[in-house]
Amino acid sequence: MSLEQLIKNCVKQDAEAQSQLYKQYASKLFSLCLKYSKNYAEAEDNLHDAFITVFKKIDQYNHKGSFEGWLKRIAINTALQGYRKDVGVYDIVNESQVEDVSVDIDDANVNIDFLLKIIQELPVRYRLVFNLYVLDGYSHVEISKLINISTGTSKSNLARARLILKEKIEAYKARSNSQSI
Amino acid sequence: MDHNKKNIDRLFQEKFKDFEVAPNDAVWNRINESLPQKKKKRRVIALWWQIGGVAAVIALLLTVGVSVFNTNEPTKLNLPVVNTDESNPNRKQIEKPIEAPKNSKQQNLNSATDDGNKFVNSDAQVPSRLESQKRISDPTKKNFNSLTTIGKSVQHTVANNANTKKEASTSQVNNPLNTSTAKDNSNTVAENSENSNRTSKPTEVTKLTSESELKSILKNKSETQVTTTAANSTQNKDIENSKLLKPESGVRAENALDPVFEEVSPKQSIQDAIAEQNEIIDEEEKEDEKNRWSIAPNVAPVYYSSLGQGSSLDQQFKENAKSNDINMSYGITGAYAVSKKLKIRAGINRVNLNQSTTNVFAFTGPEIASRTAQQAQPLENITFKGEQNILLMSSEMLGISSAPEVFSTKTAGDLEQRFGFIEVPMELEYQLVDKKFGVNIIGGFSTFFLNENEIYADIGGNSTLIGEANNINDTSFSANFGLGFDYSLSNQWNINLEPQFKYQINTFNNTAGDFRPFFIGVYTGLSFKF
Repeated sequence: MSLEQLIKNCVKQDAEAQSQLYKQYASKLFSLCLKYSKNYAEAEDNLHDAFITVFKKIDQYNHKGSFEGWLKRIAINTALQGYRKDVGVYDIVNESQVEDVSVDIDDANVNIDFLLKIIQELPVRYRLVFNLYVLDGYSHVEISKLINISTGTSKSNLARARLILKEKIEAYKARSNSQSI
Repeated sequence: MDHNKKNIDRLFQEKFKDFEVAPNDAVWNRINESLPQKKKKRRVIALWWQIGGVAAVIALLLTVGVSVFNTNEPTKLNLPVVNTDESNPNRKQIEKPIEAPKNSKQQNLNSATDDGNKFVNSDAQVPSRLESQKRISDPTKKNFNSLTTIGKSVQHTVANNANTKKEASTSQVNNPLNTSTAKDNSNTVAENSENSNRTSKPTEVTKLTSESELKSILKNKSETQVTTTAANSTQNKDIENSKLLKPESGVRAENALDPVFEEVSPKQSIQDAIAEQNEIIDEEEKEDEKNRWSIAPNVAPVYYSSLGQGSSLDQQFKENAKSNDINMSYGITGAYAVSKKLKIRAGINRVNLNQSTTNVFAFTGPEIASRTAQQAQPLENITFKGEQNILLMSSEMLGISSAPEVFSTKTAGDLEQRFGFIEVPMELEYQLVDKKFGVNIIGGFSTFFLNENEIYADIGGNSTLIGEANNINDTSFSANFGLGFDYSLSNQWNINLEPQFKYQINTFNNTAGDFRPFFIGVYTGLSFKF
């Protein structure tokens, strides 16, 4: 079945097509949800909510542009909704602005599970900004609109996220080195 | 050290480029449950029934079409078996006795007019004619003699005939009395002549005559033989002569034999006919006895609607547009033929109906609790299920300008009511046309027992069961009227097509507006007589 036909059948709420669509895209979207969530369970919840939205709104997909991109935007929006809802809790006190600089790190062969872990451990807004900017190619302007912050805050959050990640990677490497010795 | 340094962004981008993790199956199960499954399954089933129903109708129509257009020969072969039983004997019965007499009558008339005239002629020629039949023979004999003697010379007889004819016309005009009396005589003579024509063989005639009157035979024999030879030699006009001659040879003898002649053959045929008819009647009675009962499974697409504008759900929905899907009804009907024309029938059907009320807003969640109190009275006719707090409002109630912001962000959906019954019809069927293709009028009533009752809110493509109607009676009725068309495939199998209108009575309590529900079904089935 072509993707177009699959989508059309999903519009008709055909159970078989929905199952097939899920199988085809679940892994991609779940990895995305894992990056944007603070843990595995939250990622699962986001994936669930994302697919429910996908099946509800699949008739609104206009067949222009990548379908996978459309799915990812829905998954990201789902993750951001969770953030917006809980925004009061996580709104961190006024931070000092940090310069948007690139952070370099020793070329280390680090485990991806570890990288995922440290992303998830980031404060929620750092995590969102880092993911949006670095991994999903959003600009600071777009980010500022998506999560209702200034571009300055977005840049500052990104810089802080980088530093935290760098520290954790270096600490991890130091630990593994000492363990190996 | 510097070249070993790497941009941390690049590190993450590379690492996560092909990062994929399969989620736990439990996630899909949860998603699947959250999807509007119930609706979907029902739709699929309903769709199957619709497609199935359409397919069944097409198949039946095709079967009818094929048997009508392609199998003319077999059907003709089938039917004559019945026809010969019923009609042919009748024909025999009618044709034999009637047609035969007709022919003989015609012959009588012909011969009567022909011969009558001639005898009249002969009467006119011979003044002593009015006395008795015996005497008739005498003068005619004389005439014969003269004819026979003259018969030798053909031309002369022709001339003589011509003369007699001419004289006949004149005498008829001149002596009306003579002709009237003569007519009677001529009739009797005519019969005789006709009978002699029947027997045709001169030898038979002579035999018969010999029995009655020996004396005249010998002369007559010779005379008839002579005249027949003469008749053979001469043509049309001489045949008339022979007609004249024969009767005279055996007038009385044939008179005696006449009744016997006439009676023998008809009597046999009448008795045969009566016997045959009796057999037919017996067979018909047997057939009637045989096929009084019939049974017919049927399916029907049914369409539910209302005669007036109204709603069974609530006052506020009575103006809303309603839409109805075509549903299926299926069941079985048994019929008993009270007489040839009238059948009583009863059955049991499953029938599903639905109606969607469009342009309805539905709200869920706690925020609507306050709104419910302010803006909408609760819906009396719907019993909500569970703890769902649902507010339903007709968009007709809200002017767009006055609508709160909440409404403008919402899209109006449908309120779908589905209900089903077990239907027990009791109907009379009266046959209008009783041919291979029959037409019936059907009237009666049905009793309905409610067995399904659900209300769904259909908002943005999601159908949610919200409750049931509490104003549908468990038992209700309908008045039924329909036309039945049937086509007989064989003596036992019929295809039926019955468009029926069922006007529902006492189905709902407390309806709003002018709500008079009915449904239309086209019942298709195959009936079996036994």
